[in-house]
Amino acid sequence: MALYDNKHWLLSHIKNSFISSDDTGICEMVMLGEDIPRSLSHATKVCCYPGADQSEGEDEMDVLSHSLDMLAEMDLGVRQRPTTVQRLEKNDPDHEKADRTRFVKWENVTGYDPSEFQRKDFRKKRKDEKINSERSLLVKQLENYPSVFRNPFLDYAKFDGDAQVGVPTRRYGIFMMMLPPAERNYPLNVVVIASARVQDLIGLICWKHTMEHGDHNLGDSVDQYGLYIAEDDGEVDWDFPCLDPREVISKFGFSYLALVERKEKVPSEDSATRERNERLMEAGGVSEPRRMKAVLKDEDMQRMKGHMTAMEAPLYQSYRVCTVSKVRSRTEIQLGISGEKIEIDPVVQQRVGAKFWNRQKAVSYDIDNIAACEIIDNKTNNRGTLRLTYYSPSLTNADQDSSLHNHASISHYKHYDFETDLSTAEEIVQKINNILDLTTPIKRQEYLDLRESKPHKKRMFRLGQKQ
Amino acid sequence: MASDSQSGNEQVILATGGYDHTVKLWQAHTGVCQRTTQHTDSQVNSLDITPDKQLIAAAGFQHIRMYDLTSNNPNPVINYEGVSKNITGVGFQEDGKWMYTGGEDCSARIWDLRSRNLQCQRIFQVSAPVNCVCLHPNQAELIVGDQSGVIHLWDLKTDHNEQLIPEAEASIQDIAIDPEGHFMAAVNNKGHCYIWSLSGGIGEEPTKLNPKHKIEAHKRYALKCTFSPDSTLFVTTSADQTARIWKTIGFSLVQELKHDEQRWVWDAAFSADSQYVLTASSDGVARLWNVVTGKVEKEYKGHQKAITALAFRDFIVRD
Repeated sequence: MALYDNKHWLLSHIKNSFISSDDTGICEMVMLGEDIPRSLSHATKVCCYPGADQSEGEDEMDVLSHSLDMLAEMDLGVRQRPTTVQRLEKNDPDHEKADRTRFVKWENVTGYDPSEFQRKDFRKKRKDEKINSERSLLVKQLENYPSVFRNPFLDYAKFDGDAQVGVPTRRYGIFMMMLPPAERNYPLNVVVIASARVQDLIGLICWKHTMEHGDHNLGDSVDQYGLYIAEDDGEVDWDFPCLDPREVISKFGFSYLALVERKEKVPSEDSATRERNERLMEAGGVSEPRRMKAVLKDEDMQRMKGHMTAMEAPLYQSYRVCTVSKVRSRTEIQLGISGEKIEIDPVVQQRVGAKFWNRQKAVSYDIDNIAACEIIDNKTNNRGTLRLTYYSPSLTNADQDSSLHNHASISHYKHYDFETDLSTAEEIVQKINNILDLTTPIKRQEYLDLRESKPHKKRMFRLGQKQ
Repeated sequence: MASDSQSGNEQVILATGGYDHTVKLWQAHTGVCQRTTQHTDSQVNSLDITPDKQLIAAAGFQHIRMYDLTSNNPNPVINYEGVSKNITGVGFQEDGKWMYTGGEDCSARIWDLRSRNLQCQRIFQVSAPVNCVCLHPNQAELIVGDQSGVIHLWDLKTDHNEQLIPEAEASIQDIAIDPEGHFMAAVNNKGHCYIWSLSGGIGEEPTKLNPKHKIEAHKRYALKCTFSPDSTLFVTTSADQTARIWKTIGFSLVQELKHDEQRWVWDAAFSADSQYVLTASSDGVARLWNVVTGKVEKEYKGHQKAITALAFRDFIVRD
């Protein structure tokens, strides 16, 4: 506050305020050239605030640094507008909306100007307009637009809920899974009337899509597509089957869906299968094609599911499994798997009699040190044992010189054996292997090499011992 | 000037409106809906495009709203209000000086569009709700049809008016005059169509109506009648789910426009070369028909409810 009685500071501050608050930049152009505060200080040689004289001889831009307060804003590049202005601007669209419509109220006016209502000679004008060869623009356009381009989804356009008044609608973000990955990142926003069926929504999506991106060739029937539940980031929830095309869409409360192309109906092209289907249909009623479709869909889903689990593999997930070792009895632990590491945490035993030596220490292994994971035993009682192999340098003579690495042997790799139910075991193995495939840790490669060339390595080792 | 207006203005405009409280603009030759505008709180009873093709007027309950045809502004540009009931018909003087409307408040109105001094703001009151208004091509006589079955000829210059009742206790549903000013047609709720030949109507001479013909056009309610641009045909639409095309010479039936899904046909318009007819129906579909073959050439689907009004502008192309 004491600074405010300093003329030099005030001048400098005013100058900088002008420069920095003028969005047009004209103040800056005008004022930067002449440095009034400095020339003043030179003239009077009084009241320079500390540091002002230090900038002597430097370029003019340095003057800006005199006013420390303004610098932060200068850095932003954009001057913050006062909150009132911002608030007013926010209201602006509403104002504009109201402003744009001009309201004209009926006024009863007594008296009128009869000259405004002179009869015009319409017959003469009509004759002038008449010409011999008449063809309308509409007809010309119709001729130029052959009907072969008919959009097969035209009939679904009427389910578009946009700009419907008084009709309940639903809004969905649709991920088009058949698009190239780069284009399917953003959901297509579709508003559909609430009474539409799922297949109507599919048709509407296809209609909207072909209208917006004419270049992507969609099939010509809604039967080729299925709607799945999706997350807001476009991740499809494959655990649920696709929505029943005959159901009314308003039954489903999801806001994101994924449109998935069902694979080509290969069997329907195979005449033998078709015949069989027809026979089955005759025998078992109309549901057969649907069952056929369901089977096809399941195959697709399986394929997609494998793909998705690979994508999801690096996401953290924990499993409750039991360690198996020769010494200890089975101990329940929690196995946490993520893209970075694998954690083994003890589970607090509820039994009071749990023996303390059975407790597993909490350890974690960097994924780079994980070498392999495989099922080593699937017992008949639906239990499976999996082996997690990891690189453990600490177990070797730690202080040995670096040449040790050249003799990396299989003995550096330790393993855990876990037992759990078979399906969980398979899931864990798949997850870890997916992570390993994605990251390909060095130790894994080494381990695989070692395992393959085991006899060879052993011989090498023996030779080394002889020396 | 001519070339300017041709490049900018000469485009086909098709608009439909109805009970779903929307006005839709269509690409007439593809059937694609290009734009949907909300017509808040009201059905659309009648549509017309301004002579300069910049705005479309939608008449509904208590309002006439004008929407911009050249931009995507979803809100009305102008909202005309102050009428207590439904506005049933709307149209424009050919130079765009004024707009005429008819309403269920038993009056026909002339709205001065220049709004400064209102030199031609007028009101014409009758004793029954007005179902339809039709402007004579001479731009100086307004024909008003009301629910009690009276046709009023309102001379706008002298403010003089005449009445005639073609059929007792039959509500006049629509009135049309052909572009050449030879004929006037009126349809009523019995499905009957009356034709007059017109004389006079030029200079100071008022138009004279000479009864010419009566057609039992439909078995049920007739809703609309319109002449073709070349004045050789006219179309009547009806609650009997058809539209029928008639010749103005001999008044013989040329074509019946019928479709299995079509319901009440509320409105119709001819293409500029009189070769096609557009219809608006309660099944929510507008259709383009070939007059010669009677076949549907295009369907305009998108409305959720009945389409009750249609406006169409087409042009003659000079090759």
